[in-house]
Amino acid sequence: MSPGAVAITGMACICAPGSNLPECMGSVFRGERNFGAPMRFASGHAAAYPVFEVADDLALLETRNTPDISRTGRLSLKAAFEAIRGAGLDREFLCSKRVGVCMGTTVGCVMNNEAFYRAYLEKQYPNMADITRFLQSNPAAVVAREFDLTGPRQTIVNACSSSTDAISTGALWIRSGICDIVLAGGADELSHVAYNGFASLMITDSSPCKPFDRDRKGLNLGEGAAMIVLESEGLRRMRGRGARAFVLGFGASCDAYHPTAPHPDGRGLRRALKEAIASSGAEEREIAFVNAHGTGTQDNDRVESAVLNDMLPGVPFLSTKGYTGHTLGAAGAIEAVFTVACLERGRIPASAGFTSPDLRLPASPAGREMKIKGSVAISESLAFGGHNSVLVFGMGGDAT
Amino acid sequence: MNLSIEGIGVVGGFGCGTDALVSALLSGQCTPEDVSVKTPEGPLNMAVFSAETSRLEEFVNKRALRRVDHFSKMAILGSYLALQDAGKLEEDRSRMGIIIATGYGAARTTYAFLDSFIADGDTFASPTTFSNSVHNAAVANVSMLLNITGPGLTVSQFEMSVASALLTARCWLEEGTVDSVLFGAVDEYCDILGYCWHRFFGDRATAAHDMDPFNFDLQSAVPGEGASFFLLSRGGGGSQYGSIKDVYLGMTDRYIETQDPGTIFFIGADGHKVCGANYKRFLSEHAPAACYTPLYGSLPAGMAFDIAIAALSIKSGEIFPSMPLKDERPGTDTAGRVLLPRTGPICCVKISNRGELGTVTLGL
Amino acid sequence: MTLKEKLKKIIVEELKLEEITPEEIDDDMPLFGEGLGLDSLDAVEIVVLLEKYFGVEVKSLDEGKAAFQSVNTLAAYIEERQAP
Repeated sequence: MSPGAVAITGMACICAPGSNLPECMGSVFRGERNFGAPMRFASGHAAAYPVFEVADDLALLETRNTPDISRTGRLSLKAAFEAIRGAGLDREFLCSKRVGVCMGTTVGCVMNNEAFYRAYLEKQYPNMADITRFLQSNPAAVVAREFDLTGPRQTIVNACSSSTDAISTGALWIRSGICDIVLAGGADELSHVAYNGFASLMITDSSPCKPFDRDRKGLNLGEGAAMIVLESEGLRRMRGRGARAFVLGFGASCDAYHPTAPHPDGRGLRRALKEAIASSGAEEREIAFVNAHGTGTQDNDRVESAVLNDMLPGVPFLSTKGYTGHTLGAAGAIEAVFTVACLERGRIPASAGFTSPDLRLPASPAGREMKIKGSVAISESLAFGGHNSVLVFGMGGDAT
Repeated sequence: MNLSIEGIGVVGGFGCGTDALVSALLSGQCTPEDVSVKTPEGPLNMAVFSAETSRLEEFVNKRALRRVDHFSKMAILGSYLALQDAGKLEEDRSRMGIIIATGYGAARTTYAFLDSFIADGDTFASPTTFSNSVHNAAVANVSMLLNITGPGLTVSQFEMSVASALLTARCWLEEGTVDSVLFGAVDEYCDILGYCWHRFFGDRATAAHDMDPFNFDLQSAVPGEGASFFLLSRGGGGSQYGSIKDVYLGMTDRYIETQDPGTIFFIGADGHKVCGANYKRFLSEHAPAACYTPLYGSLPAGMAFDIAIAALSIKSGEIFPSMPLKDERPGTDTAGRVLLPRTGPICCVKISNRGELGTVTLGL
Repeated sequence: MTLKEKLKKIIVEELKLEEITPEEIDDDMPLFGEGLGLDSLDAVEIVVLLEKYFGVEVKSLDEGKAAFQSVNTLAAYIEERQAP
């Protein structure tokens, strides 16, 4: 175990496959894909781009009071409750420790309420309810406030790598001794504004997405939240708590290339992957699989396939976005949690949406469910604006 | 570990560059502009501290900026100025990370994107506007122009954005992830913000012109915009600006005093009555204090201006007079009108209306 | 104004090409890469502009690629699709 390893003692997930992690994993391993037309907004596009929505309207949350917060805030809390419970923690204990919150989001931090703005443009002079809701919906602040946490809080808005970066940041805070526990994750609700944005870039597929497939046409959006409880060794041993897994290492870099397209040679991803693996102390033969970013766009999948084939030839990889859609700010955390859950299970599901290899890509993902060999797994995210972020996880163990 | 401040780049209502900021600090003068705000009572004028970025032409050709919006332009200008100030414009930046803290992100472009499809329909949404509306667009634009290939981060935590993001900057340098961090904070004014200001604060939105931050019961905030950037490295001492010695993020009611005696507090009180009580309580136990928000206005990223002013104080060896200059506060132990010698560390303090507390302490 | 003149004006104004005038764009000047130097983000912006100003829909980027070579090819593409 590398000296920098940070224990994971709790995990949570809510997304299209399910409202908690066991439900999500059950659905994913049954090969289910819960997509459809958007339920919560109407779209003026001729093509109906499928989305992966969370069915739950999250009206009934076990919060202390009933805060008027955004759906992204509610998704964050749902994940927080599951993660904290799973780690065997409760409110009283958390209050007494230095607990930080680090969350990734995209939609959750943008003040772009459409109804409010339409009313403003039409000179209806809307009241401030929507704005007030926005001001109290910062995901990290929402979680910190619910549990009365006094440690540092940080919401990272790094587009598609937001919550991958949130997890690595949380791990850094533990390592540096700033916190005993960090609730690290991400959340994003489906947004009509984002839907229009990605459609305008012509990178959305009007059918269910096909990451790495020869006929892939783009991404589908999704929504959800996930969280992991990162814990210092000192506290974990004191509690006598086993670790479900460890964050062994991480790496990140900027492509410094283009506002929306990844660097064609994947130079930033190569660097982030190299640093993550080096910092983890893991050897290539220990790496069981890679949870790729795999959005289903031409550019992303081409770059990732080439980089993975180059740097980790023969290591199985898959995209889980065929099950969840691209959940933007939540994607990193959801995929991190899936990665750990697959390590625990010793198996990875099929890379959903993949049926025909693209002969222009040097490597293809796992076409069917398979057993994995190795105690280490990688999850990577490539963001708009050229940020690349990679996490390395190792299997957990007993408290002592 | 200490974060050495190697260079500073600022742009705001006071102008552009540290010289402009120091001029404003010494004269106590910074006049906001008048902008028009749409209200149910008709268009009204409101004071705003606006930032303009024409100096960018010194560093970047216009073609390279054609798709870049005001928010990113402020960030790019702050970045170049900080690197220039550090004498590091020509150096390799493959071991440099970049972090930007922002309260509201690219607010104008956020609404420009909505404009692109609200009137004419969803299929007319502008992809260029969308790609600029995401919060991390500034990091992307800065990293592209300056070829920064280390890790990047955009943090959005309202008033706590700066302190929160600095914690991560320190971790990156401690771990040796990077050798330096280009750290900045940016916020911009937009029409909607003006509208919200008016709805939240009524007459006090349009009446406010000269901010009065030590009058804690008065709503005197004037919105501001701008960027404040720093080149940070592992503290080895020797920088004329000193270094950041401590960063704290927590709650005011759980804050355990760790400041050295002789510390001077730069408070980020910016004329918002709702935060006023929190600052008043803080000052009842922490003195002496100075405040400079009347020179740059109220914006979530504002703490980064206080850090710049603290660093400039360390360089000059003296504390600049607290603002507003005409303020006579008998009984309040503020750093008064005259230039006081700096005897101890400087602690920049930002408190939110919910009692969140961020402190950044600088010293030689 | 001819179709090509209108196209050049739209390209310069909407893509914010400040250092070139519409008249300076040759009909057969490559728009992408060398020539005018536009990129993939400009390409999807042009797709929206074609719909906004000419009511012409580009269904995929592959379809757009051939059409977007120059002002000439763009004009031909529009004319084909606007034929009564």
